[in-house]
Amino acid sequence: MNIIETKSISYIYPDGTKALEDVDFKAKKGKIVALLGPNGAGKSTLFLQFNGILQPSSGNVVIDGESLSYQKKNLLKVRQKVGIVFQNPDDQLFAPTVMEDVAFGPMNIGLSTDEVERRVKEALNKVGMEGFENKAPHHLSGGQKKRVAIAGILAMKPEIMVLDEPTSGLDPRGASQILRLLYQLNKEGMTIVISTHDVDLVPLYAYNVYIISEGKIIKEGSPQEVFEDVKTIRKANLRLPRIAHLMEILEKEDQLPFDKPYPLTIGEARRRILQEFKE
Amino acid sequence: MMFENTLDKYAHSNSLKDVNTYYKFIFAIITMIVCLISTSPVIPLIIFLLLSYLILFKAEIPYKFYLKFASVPFIFAFLTFLFMGFFYGVNSHILELGIFNLSVTSDGFNLGFLVFSRIIGCFACLAFLSLTTPMTDLFSIMDNMKIPKIVLEIAMLMYRYIFLFLDEAINMYHSQETRLGYSNLKRTYKSMGILASNLFIKTWISGEQAYVAMESRCYDGTIKSVKNKESIKNIKIKNILLLLILEATLIIGTIYTASFRLF
Repeated sequence: MNIIETKSISYIYPDGTKALEDVDFKAKKGKIVALLGPNGAGKSTLFLQFNGILQPSSGNVVIDGESLSYQKKNLLKVRQKVGIVFQNPDDQLFAPTVMEDVAFGPMNIGLSTDEVERRVKEALNKVGMEGFENKAPHHLSGGQKKRVAIAGILAMKPEIMVLDEPTSGLDPRGASQILRLLYQLNKEGMTIVISTHDVDLVPLYAYNVYIISEGKIIKEGSPQEVFEDVKTIRKANLRLPRIAHLMEILEKEDQLPFDKPYPLTIGEARRRILQEFKE
Repeated sequence: MMFENTLDKYAHSNSLKDVNTYYKFIFAIITMIVCLISTSPVIPLIIFLLLSYLILFKAEIPYKFYLKFASVPFIFAFLTFLFMGFFYGVNSHILELGIFNLSVTSDGFNLGFLVFSRIIGCFACLAFLSLTTPMTDLFSIMDNMKIPKIVLEIAMLMYRYIFLFLDEAINMYHSQETRLGYSNLKRTYKSMGILASNLFIKTWISGEQAYVAMESRCYDGTIKSVKNKESIKNIKIKNILLLLILEATLIIGTIYTASFRLF
């Protein structure tokens, strides 16, 4: 069942630029979906359609089977269900202390003080930031701020988490920590939508991949299907995962017998190479 | 990313940070009021010395920082003192300058000196409060004291964003400086102008982005806050008595020295 679905939505900015054109995006419940695309393609604009911050100029958005209505009550419900973590944590962390910031969402939902405290503790624990409750955000590092931003959304217990470039600006350890956290949350049932440039990590976790360029979806499918279409990938200012690229070069330049579909991860490549060697 | 020597850092790491916030607040406010009701400069000066002692020796704030911090109100107070001395008053002249017919009158001097002492006395009270208490604790107790939420919300957001924009301003300044933006006076004016206007635009955009993020977390117009654990009831009787005795002494002092004048 598709928990998020946009049906032919288009979005035109107030100044006339067409940001999205006829976009059909589906996120299957309980899966991880990746959205790839060059800068300025419309990824962030698309995400803002999911929780009603932006309203499409045509087409409609369907969340959990219900068409999104833009009345206050419905919007509140959707925003609790669909949590968006923005790219720059400084845009999201506004409160003087970590605890107050993470408590912001639950308090707005109207929970009791005890429940809010419990949720804040749980959320901070999940992201590994327990003990930081009384710290001010400007005393945290980039990765810590990102984790607090995620905790702020987790505390609202959404069913879907949408993250705009969650690994950007993080060191490799930080990036893999975040991805491990998302993977864990997904195992517990959360649907996750990620936009990213980090092509190498996509095949590791994504069930479905969408490529967006200049406001239009130009490719969709499983990671294998999408990365097989090398031409489209390169046209969208993206690249193959390094492993796949290596395989492509080995096949095309060195005439080694690695044909499509190229292995996309280290594990797959290892298996394929060992297989070839055994023969 | 962070500023080593800001007020905020000291507020979080000083030796008096664990003292009950209500206690510090009440102490600072009452002392400030006493400073203002005094009609002679003696008590405000004593208050200044007393609180500076507390700041430097009890809260253990580095004296270099305190000197720098105090320099701005000091200069302001001193200038006020000078101007009042020269341009106020109708009594006999105690000092004649000879140029521009400027002279210092006795009541001008007295009034100037009184204002000077009040400024530095009140400054010391507020400095004490701001150097020993994290802003967040202050917001909490102000909320408990029923100060209008809108005032607190604006203050809270300002507090958070000051650091962000200070950071951005410094980054922009460095980027201009590396390109010789401050190499002569004319360029300095131009660069500062660009920095200021650019910063304004950035703050505007930040505000809009923050609003989108808050809306995504179901913001409905008021920032509901979590209550602080401290309570006015937690202050020990011994400390309350100490405070009462101190303030009573100061008030008696103001009455006793009410007519003290230097000239």
